[in-house]
Amino acid sequence: MSLLAWTLLIISQIALVAGQIYLKRAMARRERVNNSGWVRTLIIGIATMTVWFLLWLGVMPHVELSKQMPLEGISPLLIVLGAAVFLHERLNWRGWAGVGLTCIGVVLVSAS
Amino acid sequence: MHDHMPATSLPTPAPGLFWNPYLQIFLTVLLTSAAQILLKVGADHSSAGNDSVWSWIGLTELGSWWTWAGIFAFVASFGGWLYALRFLPLGIAFALTNGVHIFVPIGSWYFLGDHIGWLRGSGILIIIAGILLLAQSVAKAEEKV
Repeated sequence: MSLLAWTLLIISQIALVAGQIYLKRAMARRERVNNSGWVRTLIIGIATMTVWFLLWLGVMPHVELSKQMPLEGISPLLIVLGAAVFLHERLNWRGWAGVGLTCIGVVLVSAS
Repeated sequence: MHDHMPATSLPTPAPGLFWNPYLQIFLTVLLTSAAQILLKVGADHSSAGNDSVWSWIGLTELGSWWTWAGIFAFVASFGGWLYALRFLPLGIAFALTNGVHIFVPIGSWYFLGDHIGWLRGSGILIIIAGILLLAQSVAKAEEKV
């Protein structure tokens, strides 16, 4: 896999985490406050997810799926860490074990 | 060790099975799995041997109807995802969407003729175990509220 492909994949993962946090913030704000501020947050989230989508799709034909997908295996972990830092979400030990197992499983599925 | 974000800070969904956020996550997983397979077919149809800049940023693929079908499935799944985010913590909800990695290999085997070997099969079983642990985690957290 080329340096360009790696770089685009890393940028896509950052965009994925940021986009999901914006989406969650937008939906949380929609519940709490009665103004249109959440729409702006939602649009930022959708725009960031669009960046993720186009980069992920663009890299797809140029690398083997079995090499691209393991990177997706770490995304749940990145999201949990991002949610802990930016949304102050916490997991109990079963939650962490579940996230860890799913990450391992995704890597195995992708590596096969 | 802390628990999930307090459920009291999250709203309660409308009554009825369809409005259950976990069912919406499941529907999101099914639609996203369909989207992944459709996008793969679209990408293979449109970009084989194409090394242009447009291909690298995913625009060449937009010339395939398979890709548009995949995008439609993605958009449909997005509605369910946004709905679920109103009621569930992001970390748990996103981890549950790993069910995609169960349905994509099974769908690829059925529709694209991919092989499921012992390694892939083991990975699928481990993901199922992980999702069961996540479900237990949610149940325990809700018990405490």
